Amino acid sequence: MLKIIYTKMFIKSFFVQALWNYERLQNIGFLFVIKPFLDNAYPDKNERREALMRHTGFFNTHPYMANIIIAITANTEAKMAKNETIAADVNLVKSSMAGPLAAIGDSFFWGTLRPLAAFICVFMVILFSQISEFASLDYGIVIPIYFLIIYNTIHIPLRYWFMFSGFKLDRESIALLSKFEFKYLWEMLRYTVLAVIIVSIILYFKVFGFGPVNKNFFGASFPDALIYGAVLVLSFILGRFSATFMVYMIVLACIAMAYLGM
Amino acid sequence: MIIENIFVLAFIAAWCSADVTAFGQFMIYRPIFCAPLIGFLTGDVTSGLWLGMIAEMVWINAVPLGVAVPIDISLISMLSTFWVNKYFPGIQEAAIWSLVFAIPFAYLYKEIDIAGRKFNIKIMHWVERGVQKDKESRINLGIFFGLFLFVLRLYIFYLIAMGFIGILYQMIYLQFPAFMVAGFKKAWFLLPVLGFGAILHNFRNIKVPFLESRKKC
Repeated sequence: MLKIIYTKMFIKSFFVQALWNYERLQNIGFLFVIKPFLDNAYPDKNERREALMRHTGFFNTHPYMANIIIAITANTEAKMAKNETIAADVNLVKSSMAGPLAAIGDSFFWGTLRPLAAFICVFMVILFSQISEFASLDYGIVIPIYFLIIYNTIHIPLRYWFMFSGFKLDRESIALLSKFEFKYLWEMLRYTVLAVIIVSIILYFKVFGFGPVNKNFFGASFPDALIYGAVLVLSFILGRFSATFMVYMIVLACIAMAYLGM
Repeated sequence: MIIENIFVLAFIAAWCSADVTAFGQFMIYRPIFCAPLIGFLTGDVTSGLWLGMIAEMVWINAVPLGVAVPIDISLISMLSTFWVNKYFPGIQEAAIWSLVFAIPFAYLYKEIDIAGRKFNIKIMHWVERGVQKDKESRINLGIFFGLFLFVLRLYIFYLIAMGFIGILYQMIYLQFPAFMVAGFKKAWFLLPVLGFGAILHNFRNIKVPFLESRKKC
């Protein structure tokens, strides 16, 4: 019975941000996910209403890490139903974990895993752009599929693990998380990302900066790699500017160069 | 072209964009996935891959963190891929113009999205009142209503952008003088380099443990 409820909650956790709002952010999403558990824990209508109302307050964390908080909160609610704890403890569990877990989620999933999966595919795009026969056929569609596979084969099992370890180990799951050397894992993954980027840049310069298609800027007199190198350095230095601003500046600079006959 | 009907394409695009917040976060909203998908459905994966690659790298930091609502990069990449494949398939210059033309619409949609999230406050209060009155079904209804509105506003936006604004995109491109078109061609090769620079800037603070430990010594 509980396994069915946990599975239901796991599926529902994909909707945790569906009613994201500026006042209390993910509160209704949290309520939506934890509801099957509360239905089971509180058969009495009045007690259930009280429990549901407890979770209408502000809640915000990383959407993947929400699973672990929901599971631990559900365990605390189970204790609450048996009068083993007080209501304030339930909210304390939620509020104290949301921030630190959001930081872990943001830096690991958004800041490391996603760029890694994306840049592997960027590298593949540059690699395949050399093979015109490949590009002319529709086989290029495999590249974005790889992106989804790389990302989701890590993300979905982790999300599942967050929820079920939260249920099984309760607050110990946080201790287990903290035991992992995340810092080193991130550093290693970030090195991998950096290595993929550097290889992609080298390949890009080789193909488009020195290769047969490098007659866009200087004709045959100089390789286009010169201008690519300058733009690479400038965009690295001026990285603080808005990406949109930089895109428009590059396009305008290209138009100006074309006007001047370069 | 596998799918020509913009009603179907707008629906697919709306579900891809909904992945950013409303459902799942499976990363189907990332340009590296959704632009080639639209490219595949409209008959040219290559331009979708290239535009997706540029958008993915340039807007590497465009992820929703906390209460921040970034511009919708899936909208930029999918609209630009759709426009170029519909009106000027395989023309790199037109692809860059479509990218440039799509960016303001992403900012416009951001404002619509913020208004939608403000409207969600009303739904949230409606759910809360329901819970107080033992109408627990409002929790499920609120979630699905929120999701429905999210997809609906995206769908309407894509429908208008793919249809009417696409015609405007085509008309403007045909008026461009030759040097501007030549400029777009140059930008086709230069924008990925801008993306590389943006990524390197993003990863500039990476620490080398070996060097760090030596510094400590």
